[in-house]
Amino acid sequence: MASDEVSPLPFISDNDLKPFYVLHKASNSQQHNVRKPVGRTSRKVKVNLSSSLAATDESEVFDNDQLHNNSRMKNFHNAWVKIESTIKDVLHNIHSDVFNEISSWVQKSFGEICSSGKLDANKATCSYPIVTDVTSKQIFTALVVMSNIEFVDDLQTFADLGVHLHSHGCHVANLSSVDFSAKSGIGGCLRSLLRQILDGSTDAADISILASWYMEHDNFKSPVVVIIEDMDRCSGSVLSDFILMLSEWVIKIPVILILGVATNLDSSKTILSSKAVQHLSPSKFFLGHPADRLDAIIEAVLVKPSSGFLVGHKVSAFLRNCFLRQDGTLTSLVRAVKMAIVQHFLMEPLSFTVKGLLDEEVTEIDAWPTQALDLPSCMRLSEPKSKALLSGASMKEMLNMWSSVVLCLHEVGKNQSTTLLDLYDEALDPKLYNLRNSDYLESKPDHQRPSWIHGINGSSSEKQKGRLISRMIRQIKDMPPAGLFQLLEKWDEQTKGVDKIHEKVKEIQLQEPFKDNNLKDSPSKSRKQSTRNIGNLDRGTKALNEKAVAQITCMTRDHMQPIECIPFHEIVCFKNVDKLQAVLLGDPRKRIQLDLLECNKFLKCSCCTKSNNVPISSMHDTSLMYTLSQEHGNLINLHDWYQSFKAVILQKTVKDKQKSKVSPSPKKRKIAAEPQNITEASVQARFCRAVTELQITGLLRMPSKRRQDYVQRVAFGL
Amino acid sequence: MEDDHDIDEEEFEFSRNYFLAKESGGKSGKKSARKLSEIDLLDEQDLRTEVSKIEPKHEKEIASLISSYKSLYNEWAFELRYGFGLLLYGFGSKKTLIEDFASTALTEYSVIVVNGYLQSINLKQVAMAMAEVLCEQLKLQPRSSGGSLKSQQPFNTRSMDDLIAFLDGPHTQESECFVCLVIHNIDGPGLRESESQHLLARIAACSHVRIVASIDHVNAPLLWDKKMVHVQFNWCWHHVPTFAPYKVEGVCHPLILAHGSASQSVKTAIIVLQSLTPNAQSVFKVLAEHQLAHPDEEGMPIDVLFTSCRERFLVSSLVTLNSHLTEFKDHELVKVRRHSNGQDCLYIPLSKDALEKLIQEINQ
Repeated sequence: MASDEVSPLPFISDNDLKPFYVLHKASNSQQHNVRKPVGRTSRKVKVNLSSSLAATDESEVFDNDQLHNNSRMKNFHNAWVKIESTIKDVLHNIHSDVFNEISSWVQKSFGEICSSGKLDANKATCSYPIVTDVTSKQIFTALVVMSNIEFVDDLQTFADLGVHLHSHGCHVANLSSVDFSAKSGIGGCLRSLLRQILDGSTDAADISILASWYMEHDNFKSPVVVIIEDMDRCSGSVLSDFILMLSEWVIKIPVILILGVATNLDSSKTILSSKAVQHLSPSKFFLGHPADRLDAIIEAVLVKPSSGFLVGHKVSAFLRNCFLRQDGTLTSLVRAVKMAIVQHFLMEPLSFTVKGLLDEEVTEIDAWPTQALDLPSCMRLSEPKSKALLSGASMKEMLNMWSSVVLCLHEVGKNQSTTLLDLYDEALDPKLYNLRNSDYLESKPDHQRPSWIHGINGSSSEKQKGRLISRMIRQIKDMPPAGLFQLLEKWDEQTKGVDKIHEKVKEIQLQEPFKDNNLKDSPSKSRKQSTRNIGNLDRGTKALNEKAVAQITCMTRDHMQPIECIPFHEIVCFKNVDKLQAVLLGDPRKRIQLDLLECNKFLKCSCCTKSNNVPISSMHDTSLMYTLSQEHGNLINLHDWYQSFKAVILQKTVKDKQKSKVSPSPKKRKIAAEPQNITEASVQARFCRAVTELQITGLLRMPSKRRQDYVQRVAFGL
Repeated sequence: MEDDHDIDEEEFEFSRNYFLAKESGGKSGKKSARKLSEIDLLDEQDLRTEVSKIEPKHEKEIASLISSYKSLYNEWAFELRYGFGLLLYGFGSKKTLIEDFASTALTEYSVIVVNGYLQSINLKQVAMAMAEVLCEQLKLQPRSSGGSLKSQQPFNTRSMDDLIAFLDGPHTQESECFVCLVIHNIDGPGLRESESQHLLARIAACSHVRIVASIDHVNAPLLWDKKMVHVQFNWCWHHVPTFAPYKVEGVCHPLILAHGSASQSVKTAIIVLQSLTPNAQSVFKVLAEHQLAHPDEEGMPIDVLFTSCRERFLVSSLVTLNSHLTEFKDHELVKVRRHSNGQDCLYIPLSKDALEKLIQEINQ
């Protein structure tokens, strides 16, 4: 209240005290330009992007700059669109089986409802539905179990399911726990149900509207499907009421429920009232495991170089850590990849050349621009820059080989539930690649290997690194013939289009001694025959196993060159993991404290540089106060704090006084005169403002009635 | 593994700091018992004027720090365009920075500013304003499907769901139209409720909406769940400390040296007491003297007060005493609590110092 009475504050404008205001409207003159936003943005972007290039001759480059920026933005847009659609397709394919299953179940259930209770217009329009027996009050319910406690990843799934069912002619409403809150009650969910099904033409919460709408036109020919994406988070009583109400009307409006269940199948019994449970006639469906989805997305987006955008090893390790340690959601992984694209095209000026590089249809690829020769990866090349390297084609080839080898390895690991994420991470590691090129991968007998390769469950991850690939290779050695045969077929598939590798794989396939033995259906063979052949076969397949091992070893050694080992990779490869992390996961708790404790880093003023974080009077007041507060414990006595603040502020005065006594030059006296002006009142005011600012940052808890003279510290350590 | 080690170390450091701080605050007994009232404090009015007169420090450095962020505007605008929300954090007021960004780099968007640091904000009105601005923008577009817009009912009669549905409408093929929502202190007191945050998240997820927000509170991220962070707001974090004073943002916060201090409550108590009859003042004095004389007691039982007041001819009946007491209670001069023997008793919710000062003042 007090603040209202204070004389008008000069620094506050009217707008500052309005809850909201329109700052400006979209400028009209630019409206017409909006059509080609890509070009426009790029013009702006040009100005200040940090570049990995040394300063180039301005005048020479300037003309091309515009052009390059435009094509850079175009490339970005293409990559962005491509990745978005790829992800969408991948998820769609993964779910298509379950979706079809649910869709046919919906049709079947609808048929059953229709056959049990006959609809006619007379019944439908009477005020209360006539229900003949209890069994007809059943609602067909699909419990869709997500094998993932994180419902975020499945939000899109349920949205897609809605679209899928809609395309099959159902009337679909997608509801979520927000609609089933205790606060808005049954009216809330009913309203959003009606909004969605009746296409927003009503705001009333009355189910009879739905009933009469259902009888109109051809609506009654298909069922009403209500999808609730996160049943576990709904208010139990509201959901129970909703179900009871639907069950009363089920003959007139054949509603089919689809409930997303994140925990376990019994949860519906704990959440809902027993009366409501009685009315459900449940069926179960299972969504795919999130790990499968993860693998599919990584394969499509990151392993197969289709978008002209790749990430370096450190970034992939960061993505992996994010997924495994922090968040565990696919959504955040996808978000991180998208963010990485944005950052890459923002930061890499040469990314304008990406066009067509990784596109399969484009065969003609321009040579790298001259600036690219200055890239560190190119400078590293010891031999004279050969012509082959100067075009993107060689890179494209290398990347294709890399991805096919990775996928071949993944085929090996699939039975052992190795995630592609781990494999991908390891395959990108340039250090390991260099190691591999020495003797590391040669299949020595186990006891000859350096001991760290088979450390027991990896006492440290450093030792574990690089184990995955070698372990997979060893697996091939012990593979049964049938498995090997399948594996070779998969390899054949994966290496199609990569001639160098494909030929060799074919070679092994042709050599196979079991070709005529028909191993494919070996279990059905007569025992007699198989026992006779076993010795022969054994030797033959062992040799084949060896060959496969030799082949994959050779493939990993020669063709699995991580992107960071390829010259010019900077153009397509995003490596700046720090930037990505900063943009993706802010850390306000740490950063804000650091701002306060090391304010000089940001302000770079001359006066406080030497202080070395010892509180001195010239420091920013709040920063000074926070530094002082570090000396206190949990509680800060306001009186003590005030006194120490005051002491620091007045410090300079004393020193200067002494100085001025020694050398009473007029200039120094002038400086000294200023701090002398510090009155008790101004110290109090500064103290108050600093406390308020700390309160805004949430680093202090204000005095309670009990402890009027203390504030409480909130953060201890960064 | 190195990382693991670092993390463990960090966590250990963190918990050690916490317990050290707790210890030095509680056990050691060195806890200072000094009181604020020992400082000769200004009264609130003067303090406020003094606060507004504080000489700024490091003005030059702050200005150059803020203008150094100008080079990031293009990057921000780019991220915003591609569907990320900008979240700016770091110490110092970011109000001018964001508004400068919005008016230089976001000219093609309509921009609506929400001052989240204020106490109460009506988000429906914000959504209405956004819808109106968007509607105007859509009408201006060449070859837009303006026909469908005309038939709509006015925005101020529509429900929140309708407004959000409108903001989430499809883009026309040729061009895209955005309304940018700038929220200063999305973690501010007026928006801190989870309901407001959910609503903001829904608005932020709309196809025609882009969001730029600032946070100042270290725990602000706790306001959002994963759906809001990853899907709806889709934050892109930027650390931009400005060290600019929180002038406007701090206006609603009470000043620590003016708030709850003895002098302040004494002053208000005196004003109230002076408006009462001399008899009522004397009744209050009886209670105050009793409280000063028996500092350890929980309060004065009402019958004791009645007897002692009747002895001094201050009141004649319990009814008159009660009418005085009601007056006191209404102004929070006197409170009631249950005595350990079950009896209701009266006390004055002021410290000893404050009470002494108060009695002196009325006696004058």
